[in-house]
Formats: sequence, C-alpha cells, structure tokens
Amino acid sequence: MSSDSSDKSKPRVGIYGLTGCAGDQLLLIHCEDEILDIFNAFDIRSFVMASSNPIEDDMDVALVEGSVSTEEQKEHLLEIRKRSKILVAIGNCATVGGVQAMYAQDGTFKDRMKKVYGDMKFITAPMEGQPLDAFVTVDYYLPGCPISAKQALPLLSRLLHGASPEPFPHPVCHECKLQENKCLLLDKKFCLGPLTQGGCGAVCPSHGLPCVGCWGPNPDANFNEHVKLLESFGMTKDEVIRRIRNFGGHKILQYIKDL
Amino acid sequence: MTKTKIEIEPLARVEGHGGIKVEIKDNVIKDVQVKILEGPRLFETLVIGKTPEEDLSLVPRICAICNLSHKYASLRALEKALDIKVPAVTQTYRQLMHHGEMLESHSLHLYFLALPDFFGYDNAVAMAEKFGEVVQNALALKKFGNKIMRLMGGRMIHGENPVLGGFGKLPSRESLLELKEEALHHLDFAMATIDILAGLEVPDYLERDTQFICLKPPHGEYDYYGDILLASDGKEYPLEDYKKVIIERTVSHSFAKRSAYNDRPFTVGAIARVLNLGDRLKGKAKEAYDKLVNERWYRNPIYNNFAQAIEQVFSLEDVVRIVDELLTAEIPKIVKPPRGSGTGTGGVEAPRGTLIHHYTIENGVTVDADYITPTAMFLDDIEAFIRKSGETLLAKNEMDGIELKLEMVARAYDPCISCSAHLVTVDFE
Repeated sequence: MSSDSSDKSKPRVGIYGLTGCAGDQLLLIHCEDEILDIFNAFDIRSFVMASSNPIEDDMDVALVEGSVSTEEQKEHLLEIRKRSKILVAIGNCATVGGVQAMYAQDGTFKDRMKKVYGDMKFITAPMEGQPLDAFVTVDYYLPGCPISAKQALPLLSRLLHGASPEPFPHPVCHECKLQENKCLLLDKKFCLGPLTQGGCGAVCPSHGLPCVGCWGPNPDANFNEHVKLLESFGMTKDEVIRRIRNFGGHKILQYIKDL
Repeated sequence: MTKTKIEIEPLARVEGHGGIKVEIKDNVIKDVQVKILEGPRLFETLVIGKTPEEDLSLVPRICAICNLSHKYASLRALEKALDIKVPAVTQTYRQLMHHGEMLESHSLHLYFLALPDFFGYDNAVAMAEKFGEVVQNALALKKFGNKIMRLMGGRMIHGENPVLGGFGKLPSRESLLELKEEALHHLDFAMATIDILAGLEVPDYLERDTQFICLKPPHGEYDYYGDILLASDGKEYPLEDYKKVIIERTVSHSFAKRSAYNDRPFTVGAIARVLNLGDRLKGKAKEAYDKLVNERWYRNPIYNNFAQAIEQVFSLEDVVRIVDELLTAEIPKIVKPPRGSGTGTGGVEAPRGTLIHHYTIENGVTVDADYITPTAMFLDDIEAFIRKSGETLLAKNEMDGIELKLEMVARAYDPCISCSAHLVTVDFE
C-alpha cells in the first residue's frame, strides 16, 4: 500500500482494530507532527482505518486495538499472531477487555445481548469482550483509554531500533504528584488514582476531576485499603466496586476477588 | 464483464470494521448490504444502574472520533432529566468545544479519508509527495481541532473535563486568544480548500432523490445543536418525539435498527445541515456556500465532503466570534442537579449527523438509556445510493473499478461503525 513497501530494511507493521472505539488507532493518526515520519520509518502494510489495499502477510510488528468480541475476531487475532514476530496490545480494550467487559463473568452477558438485540442469530457468534491475552501471547502492553502519544511514540521508536520497550509500572498518583496537584482524596473525593495504571499524565486530577480508572488496574495497588478509604467517604462497598469495574475489564477480577 | 457478486471487505478509511456486499443476478442488482462487522458492546446496558457522572465517562467510549459529541448529547439529555439549567456562557463554552471536534473530524475525513480517492491514492501520506502543502496544512488544521478538544475536553480523546452543569476547568484568557489567532490563520487554508473542491469532478452515477434531517438550532444562526428535528420537507418535530419521527425497524439481512423517515431512507450529516440551514450562513462560510452548493447536492451524497469543507469555514469563523464573546463573559459556576429523577432527550449534531441520547434517571441512577447514532440513521440511505450506483454502472457496463466507486459512496457519509455497533449483520435461520 505505501509506495516504497518493498524496502526490506524497514520493519513491516500492521495496525488492526477489533471491538472498541478506534481511539487508539485514532491517537496514532492524531500524531500530526510525527505521522509522516511514522509512515516513512516503518513499512506500514496494513492500517485499514487510514489506508486502502492492505498487504496481509508476515510482519515484524502488529499493533492490535480492541477486545475480542466475536468468534470471527478471535480467528482474526490468532491469524495475526501467527504472522507477527511482535504483537502489541494497544488500549484498554485490548489490554483488559474494555468497558464492554465491565460485567465480566457475572453471567449477565446473554441477557444483556437479548435486551439489545432480541432473539437474533449472528453470522459470527458474539462473546463478552476479552483482552487479547485471553487467546494469544502478547509481547507488549500499551495501556490507555486511549493510549497516549508520550508512551506510544517511544514504544514505536524502540521497536524501530530493535530495542525492548519498558513498562511504566507507576500509578496515576505518581504523575499527579509530579503535577503538584492537591490530592483529591484529602477532600474526600472519590478518586481511583492509586488503583490505576499511570501514563496519562494524571490528566483528570489536573482538571480538578477524579481519576475514573480508565487505564486499567495498577498491579501494585492496595485494593483492600483503598476500597476501605472510599467507603469511609460515605459510599457503599458495592458502589465502590461497581465504579472500579467500569474500566477494569477482566483483569480487575484478580484484584477484587478477596475484597 | 460479468460479475455476480461484489464484496468489499474491509471497507477502508472509515472508522470501525465494515464491508459492502452487492449481489447481481441476471444483470440485475438483487441485494445490497452494508455489513457492520464490529462486535457488540451493549452500551445501553452498560450504563444501567450507574450514576449520571459514570454515564458521562462511559458514553464517549462509544466512538473516539466524535467522543465529545457523545458526551455533549448525554450532557444535554441528563441535564434535562435532572432539571439542570446551565448559564448561557456555559453553553457557549460547549459550542467552542464542539467546534474543536467538528474541525478535527471534518479535516480527518475530508483530507485523509475521502480526498485520496479523488486524487487516486491509497492514503493521504502517499498523497504528500505531490500535494505536500495540502497535506501539511490539513495536518495543521486537524491539530488545531484537536487543540480545542484538548483544551475544552481535558484530553484530545475521552477527556473528562465537561461535567454535569459545567466544566472542571475553563481555558485561560491567553489560551482563548491563541485559539482566535490560530482560527484566523487556518481560515485561509479552509477557503483554499473550497477552491480545490470547486475544481473537482463529482461523479453522477449514484444520483437519486433523498431526504435530509438535522437539528434546528434554538437561535436564528447556523449551529450544531437543538431540540427540534428539522426535515427537508419543511416539517419540524420536538426532539422528544424522535421515536415517532425516526422509525426504526429490523431487516432480514441485518440485525439492526435501521431508520426511516416517511418510510424512506434519509441523510444526516454536514450535507443535511448545509442544505437545511445553509441560508443562515454568513461571512466567508456564505461565500463558500455560494461557490459550492448547487441542485445536484440534493441527489448526490459525495457532496457531503464539500459540505464538511463549508462547515470547516463556519467553525473557524465561529471560534473567532465565540472567543470575543467569552473574553468579556463572566466565569460560570458548575450547576448542581436540583433533582435526582427524570427523563430527558438530548440532541447534538455530531460531525457525521444527528446524534440522540435519551435517559431515564431514578433516584440518581440510570434505569433506561437509548442512543441513536448518525450511522444508524443513514445506513439505509448508503445502501440505496450504492444500489443506484450499481444499477447505473451495470447498465452502462462500466464494471471496471466498481469497488472503488461504491466505496466512495459509503465513505462520503463518513460512517462511524463503532458508533453503530448494534447493527451487526445476522443470518435468520
């Protein structure tokens, strides 16, 4: 699809979207200052949202957005995995399952399908949104809802030069402190910063608004203590857990199972 | 050249995963399907039992490109439900926010998703070699749209800054002045775009009559919001009656609430707004309107790309007007909800057309929600224009490159397939 796609020295890249809002692919398109360089540095062979005539064969890097929400998407993902050396999950839907997975494993999926669709038989069987690593090995995770350019561009740059991207194992609070914001929890405001993976730059607390947890669970967080703290602000435990689950997808289950 | 089936999948340069299937039998088009292959997300069920604050965080995730339109439509619906009356200046800030999204979305669609077809490229980056200046200016214009979205939304995509009753944080005077200066700067390129488009040949193989619906602004000017549905037959309907006006039905080849008005397909989006409200345009937007609009617009959705170009001019001029107004306005406070229960319908014009959110809230939690997206409204219309295109091209035996011609019809609408994910193609057994 690109005019110089025969250039063998450039890493071959495919950018794919499963079920989601397309915000992570859009974020890449919205890198107005870098997009021409990205297309020049890589041999972008498939990026259907931005270009016609994709070439679907072996790739060095696949970036995959979205949850797996149909059997067809599961097959597509397995097929992408087979022909990609490196697979990167981009965005909340791909890394944890997305908002469509907020009721993961509570058994309501069939009923909710019926409520919206009635008694329909689908060309491809629908399933409750699952993260990519429920089906394939994921080499790198780029969390976010959507991903941020500050993390996406260094990841691309490292992959371009054959280096390994590093994780950013810090909660939103870490970045909130760097912004010198006053902690919203001190004012007894519901904030999920301590439980949430950082990388967004603590953008919501910097607007005086609580973190809603959209980058998914921070593995090091003390869920037990934070839920107790939020309960002490006058919310029931159920309400707290409900809000934690909004963006926690499947991955949140392991952190809240003993609460 | 004999073909019995045309399948275009994936449908490229649109948001989300879709395709087109056309079946031909004995040289006659038997069936046209715009397939929506996006998986189900069930947003209408995700918000049940949630607070309005949570609803507002969740709904932008329906679609990234028009995330603020979803937030805005929900705000309008929820504020009606909870009887929140925001001051006029808050509404003005929201209009500024929405202009950011219009500029971001229209420039993305016009220059990056649609224009490569006219010049024969796979994508806009490939176009850059020959049309470097256009691509660079288009990137700068899109970046400006995103800048407004970041400033007002809090983040380029899925920002939390617009809240029930107001905004978390309002832009500084300096930021507003910067926007005004930049808007004036981009106006030259937006007008140059009008001239580029005026020189393009627009294909006529698809032409047929259709109808147009958009929201009627509550004032006498052009705008992107309102509480009245305005149809091209001159009729007006209160937004709350949307279920009686926009009739949803299921069709055998597609699960789906397809939409019809007067039992026929209809168009929403920039072209519907320009045709229904264009006589309200002023200044350079009026100049652009006079240069581009003609009788063929009523029969040809390819002109939606041109309508977006006119709206880019309108939005840039309106950003300038709004900044001047806001510079002397008081800083509004966030209005708290006076009640915890009620029903409300909110409508905004998303870049790609009328977007309706409807809520019933009881004791502070959502008990019912309904979202009707532009793509759900115009899918039938796309199919009708694709059918017409197929028939014309078949009759003329011009089947070479028919795929691209049909794709151009679908792309012209700027469909947002993530938004319409409850339009999954199904097989009835």
